[in-house]
Order: sequence, then C-alpha cells, then structure tokens
Amino acid sequence: MTVVSSAFKNKRRLPPCRAACPAEVNVQGYMALLQQGKFKESVELIRKSMPFPAICGRVCFSPCQDACSRKNIDQPVGIRYLKRLAADIEREQGRIKPDAVPKTHNEKVAIIGAGPAGLSTAYELAKLGYPVTVFERMPEPGGMMRYGIPDYRLQKYVVANEIAYIQDLGVEIKTGVEFGKDIEIDTLRNEGYKAIFIANGTQLSTKLGVPGEDLEGVFPAVEFLRDVSLGKTVDVGEKVAVIGGGNSAIDAACTSLRFGAKEVTVLYRRSRNEMPALPHEVEAAEKEGVKICFLVAPKQIIGEEGRVKLIECLRMKLGEPDASGRRRPVPIQRTEHTYGVDTVIPAIGQMPETSCLPSILLDERARAISVDQLTLETKIPGIFAGGDVVTRPASVIEAVGAGKRAAVSIDRYLNGANLRTGREEEIEETTWVKDWEKITRKSERYTAPHIDIGRQKVSFEKADELLTKIKAVATFEARRCLECGLCTECLGGEELCEADKAVVDETLCIGCNVCAIVCPFEAVKKNETGVAQVNEDLCKGCGTCSASCPERAIGMQRFTDSLILTNVAATLGEPT
Amino acid sequence: MMFRPKIVGFLCNWSLPQEVNTTGTGIIQGYPKIRIVRVMCIGRIDPVIVLETFVKGADGVLVIGCHPPDCHYIEGNLQAERKIKMLKKLISRTGLEPERLRLDWAYASETELFATIIDDFRTQVAVLGPSPLAGKKPDENVLAGIMAAKAVTGDSRLRTLVGREKELIEEGNVYNEKVEQEEFDEVMNESIDEEYVRSRIRLLVKDRPMSVEGLARHLGLDPKKVLRHIVVLRHRGLVALDKIEREDPLYIALEVT
Repeated sequence: MTVVSSAFKNKRRLPPCRAACPAEVNVQGYMALLQQGKFKESVELIRKSMPFPAICGRVCFSPCQDACSRKNIDQPVGIRYLKRLAADIEREQGRIKPDAVPKTHNEKVAIIGAGPAGLSTAYELAKLGYPVTVFERMPEPGGMMRYGIPDYRLQKYVVANEIAYIQDLGVEIKTGVEFGKDIEIDTLRNEGYKAIFIANGTQLSTKLGVPGEDLEGVFPAVEFLRDVSLGKTVDVGEKVAVIGGGNSAIDAACTSLRFGAKEVTVLYRRSRNEMPALPHEVEAAEKEGVKICFLVAPKQIIGEEGRVKLIECLRMKLGEPDASGRRRPVPIQRTEHTYGVDTVIPAIGQMPETSCLPSILLDERARAISVDQLTLETKIPGIFAGGDVVTRPASVIEAVGAGKRAAVSIDRYLNGANLRTGREEEIEETTWVKDWEKITRKSERYTAPHIDIGRQKVSFEKADELLTKIKAVATFEARRCLECGLCTECLGGEELCEADKAVVDETLCIGCNVCAIVCPFEAVKKNETGVAQVNEDLCKGCGTCSASCPERAIGMQRFTDSLILTNVAATLGEPT
Repeated sequence: MMFRPKIVGFLCNWSLPQEVNTTGTGIIQGYPKIRIVRVMCIGRIDPVIVLETFVKGADGVLVIGCHPPDCHYIEGNLQAERKIKMLKKLISRTGLEPERLRLDWAYASETELFATIIDDFRTQVAVLGPSPLAGKKPDENVLAGIMAAKAVTGDSRLRTLVGREKELIEEGNVYNEKVEQEEFDEVMNESIDEEYVRSRIRLLVKDRPMSVEGLARHLGLDPKKVLRHIVVLRHRGLVALDKIEREDPLYIALEVT
C-alpha cells in the first residue's frame, strides 16, 4: 500500500487573505504599511507579489476580502479599496521608476499574449534577469484588461502605467505580432528562444447556438467590448438585450447605455444567486438603469431584412445542481415570449482561439491547452501555457497566479532543475483569534468619518486637504486588520518592523500566568511543568508580557530592556 | 533664557510619524523637540524603564500609542494605560511631580495632533521646571524615593496586580467573582502605599542598621506602622535583626539571591 506522505509537501502558514489570493499578495504586510501611512511603500510591497496593484484595486474579485477574518466581528477590511487608493496615490504622485534589471541569463524567453498571465510571467522572469520578449497581436498590450474591461471600470491609462513599470524592468513588448501567422513555435525556437509561454487567452465568444445568431445587430460581447476599446463607434440602437450573467455581460450592458441605448436588458437563465458577475458591479449596473431578467434564455433571434428585430425567449426554472455546483436551468415548455430589440449581445462565455495552436498542445476536446496543473508545462518540453487559455475565462488575479507559477517553472527548466520538487504546498490558514466572542475591543470602534467629495471642482489647496483626509480614513481602515498571520507577515527584519520574540527564563518563572493574561494573542501559556512557554508561531513580539511579568522572567530577543535604556541614554545625550 | 526641558518620548512603531528616522532613537524634524525612543508597542514599556529614564535625567516622559480600541497588538495600548496609571500614583509618593509623565493617543497620520500633544506637554513640564533628578546634583530625597519606586515596580506584587487588572475586573477571580473598578483601585492604592514604604525601609537599612524609631522619624511615619512593615519584611526574608543597641533592636536588609 502506498500512502502519499504529506511530508513531501511544502507546509506554509498564511493568514486567510493571503491564502485566498491566487497571487499570494501579502495583504497583512501592506495593511501594516498603510497603518503607518506609507502609501508608496505599500504599493512596492504589492509589486513584490504582482505587477498590477491599481488594476486589481479596481477589478479584482477580491477573494482576500471574502476570506478576511474580520467578518467574524463586523465586516471584512476594505482591502480592494485600500489597494486602489494606495496605487492611485502612488501613480498620481509620481510612479516609482524601477531600474532595469541586469540580464544575468542568456536564455531568451518568448511570451505569447500580453494579458495579465503573460505580463506577470514576463515580470517575474525579468526580475530574475532573463531577457523576455512578449508578443501581442493587438496594437496595445494588456489583453482583456485593455480590450475586455470597459474604460469606466478600468481606465486605459491605469493599465498603460502598470505595463510601463514592467517595461521599465527591461521586458520587451512587441505589439501587432500575431501568433500562428507572423510567428510560430518553430520560428521562435530558430530565433533562439529557449522557453515559450503561451497565454493568448480566450478571444472567441461562445456561440449561443440558436437560430438567427448571424443576423446583423448581433455583437458577441468580446468583439463588442474590443471594438469599443479600440475607439470604434458602435451603433447599438435604442433597445439592447445582453445574454449572460457574467462580468462581460454587465460590462456590455453598461457600455451600451453609454452608447446611447435607452433600454438595456440583461437576460440570465439562472437566478441572482448564481450570477458569476461581481455583486457590486451588478448593483451599480442596476442603479444606472440596466434591467436584469432572471430565469430567461433565448430560443431564437428573429430578424427582418437581415437585421435583428425580435428575440424570442423561454422561461426557465432551476433544477438539480450541475458540475459547477450551481442549479441547472431547465426550460419551461410553452413559455415563449418575445422582446423587441435593436441589438443582441451574447455574453455567455469565451473560448480560446485554437486554430493557431499545434493540436498536440490541446486537450481531448480541443477546447483548451492541456498542461500539468502544478508546473503549467505542456506536452512539449520547454513550452508552457497558462491563464484563460488553460482555465477558460477567469479573473486577472488568477491569471497572475498562473503567470507566477509559470515563471518558476521556466526558471527551473532553463536551469535544468526538476520542475516539481518541493512545489506541492499545503497551506494552513492562521489566525491567532480562538474565541471571536472575546474579541470585543476591536468591534467597539467608531465608524470612519465620511468624506463627501462628489464631483466638485476644487482648488489645489482644497484638493490637498481632501487628500490628507482620505489618507487618514485609509490608515484608519487599515487598522481594522486583525493581523491574523504570523509576525513575520509584516515583513520582519525589513524597514517596516523588527520581528521580536519573547524569551522565557525558565529558572525565574513561577508559573503565575500573568503573561498568559496580558498576551493579546494567547501566544504564551504555562506548559505541563508549570513554566511559561512562548508559541513562536503566535508571538508577535509586542513585549507586553515582558513588561508585565511579575518575576521579570520574560525578556525580548531584540528590544531588550537594556537596549531600550541604551536608546534612552543615547537620546538624552543628544543636544537639543 | 527659557528653560528647555529634556523630554523622552516613547512611541510605538505603529503610531510613529513617518518623519522620524526609524532606526531607533531620533528627534522629529520640524516638531517641537523631543527625544524619541521607538518600541514595537507601548505595552512593552516596563515601569522600571520609565523610572530609570527619570533617573537618567529626563525632565518629562511622554508615551504615545494608537487610539484605543485600535492597536496593532489588539490591546497593548490599554495594557500600557494600566501601567502608567499605577506609575503616576507611585511617582506622586516620591516627591517627583507625576505631571512629568503623560500617556496620550495619536495615529501616525495625525501629524498635527502629535505636534499639539508634544507642545502641550513641553509647556506643562517647562512650568514645573527642571527635574529634581536632572543636573549634576540630583535631589537626594527624590532620588531615594525614585530608587525605592523602581525597586517596587521591579517586584512582583504591583506587577501582578497590574497584569491581572483586566482579568479581575472583566472576567473575575478564580472564584468567578468580578471585582469592581473602585474596589480594585482601593487595593491598588493600598498596595502601592505599603510596597513603597517597605521599599524605602529596605533601601534605608541596606548599608547601616536602623531602629523602628529611627526609620519612623526618617520617613515621617507612625512607628507602629513601620513596625508592621518590618514584620512583613522579616517574614519575607528581606530584613533581619542585626543587633540590639541599648534597648532598640536594629534591623538590616538582607541580600536577596
């Protein structure tokens, strides 16, 4: 009998927010920096994990916030808003311009597709010193971040700014180069690229599969949003029906409103609970006037003289849960009804363009690239793939996560190392809180002052004043972080904080338990022999136990009493 | 020239304004001048350290942490508050003005508030004048008092009381009896009084034996009270009978190993 031993897995202990993030962004760390009002530094810290702080601050589905322990007390910390604010402040006050990383490796790496997956792989590899070239078919890099998400949610200059950072590091981006036409795997290899990462995404809209789909006035969402982003004017008429319940559907609906549509209806075949779109985006769309009809699916699109005129739909009911865990919509017979429409935008999903890919890379159904889930290596050694083209449409942060994993694999591949060794991880979520009922202090907080800025024109002085206030509110919000993770999450040993630890002198301890009472993290307890013992995983080094120990049996590793007193003497000796 | 007090500010890492050089000690540029000592949490400030800071010649000690209920360490600031409360009571018995010690709250972002707090405290200390412990010739009586206070804060009784304050008031003692704040304060005041006097006695008889009568005269106390303290100190093994001079027993401090 073989038992897969977990001993081979790399055990890591992370706070819930970081464990939930596909890119493992150190949330606790930048919350700690924000607590100190260090906005630029916090952005730099985010950049250690991924290159898109401002983008994710806008469009991320923020699994970190869903995982935040604070929800057990009141509400999760507003992580995404804080990230956006920090990144915006950093950009507006002058983005940090990194120096190009010296190319310490000779092996060239080619990346197909300048979307979030491709760019983050390029980012990670450039930081390691590899010469990286990204090939992009469109005129500008960014992928779906640029051509899929409309401007009102994610401004083009924000995308451009974050990509400029990646370019500053030394990544070369070649736009207007189409894979399968201008370049191919063989030509890239002949040009000396030792590894290739394919992240061309999902560029095709899934067909509705109903009659009338080829009529004039049917714009698949991907093409519609791409055209809009390219600056083309799209005539959507007055009445628009969007089919689907994802973010693209909502984006297309809101964009239609901006193009002059009077009546925009989203038709979704399941109910609100099953909608994959972000709840706050749905809410905002409804506020803008988008109507959402649930449990409705199109049966056919009816045209007149080749142009869309009516859409015929069927009512649905929810049946048994399907493979995705959501309840399957089942059509109700004889519930056909029609809507008069000028435009139909199907947004029911996206598929990779597989025609440009060698068939050996594809899965059995030839609908995506098949890769090793851990290493992202395809069936051809040296060729890796990740992002939507592997996972089917997902999110920016998941693509970034894949990009980071691919970068590790490519680095190992080029160094001839084993791609798998030590990479299987077991992540344990940590939080020092054992009894949520007991954590009353943190819930006593007063609410953050509300700043109403609106769309007023303000003087520079006033704007500066408002910014100061906004920053104060942000540091205030960051303070709601419970710091669930280990002490070192807040960057022990780096400029922010010096990780400290309590040390018990067992010969002095009398087992009075005062340390256990004063420790806010339940990190110190009497052991079976009645002597205080520090749990290093929980101790955050505040030193309260040391300052309270009746027998003075507890000292600190770094901030010892004598160090503090030396500092006191030193500062008193300084002239005023 | 106006008196410029030397003020030591203990600031927690998380409420420290960005302007401060964070390598340890520093003076905030552009602020009314105080001497900053950074600690990770003000809960770390051992009362012994505060008293030692006064011995080293500080005219005032300012402790600044984050506004409760916010604290990077959940409630380190409230732990500090209990210690400072006890310390002020203890200092008031030594002859040093307790107004030379202050605890206040500010976030790192509240730079204006920092300036106000520091300004205000400097003015307060300036009015009190130089510390009796500062300068080349510190006031011997006050120094004796502070040294006694230092010994008290290093000893277990008050430390235990301060450490258990929250538990006793909020959760109750081992018999699940909650203690009222007033009741606790009474016990605390009594303990401070007793321990402070006992500490004074121990230091007085450290080098030369003294009688109860002599100690009472020196401390300005009722001899009966002093005798009761002597009994306790003998019981604890801290003081012993040295010799009997005429009819008076003389006592001397024992070295504690």
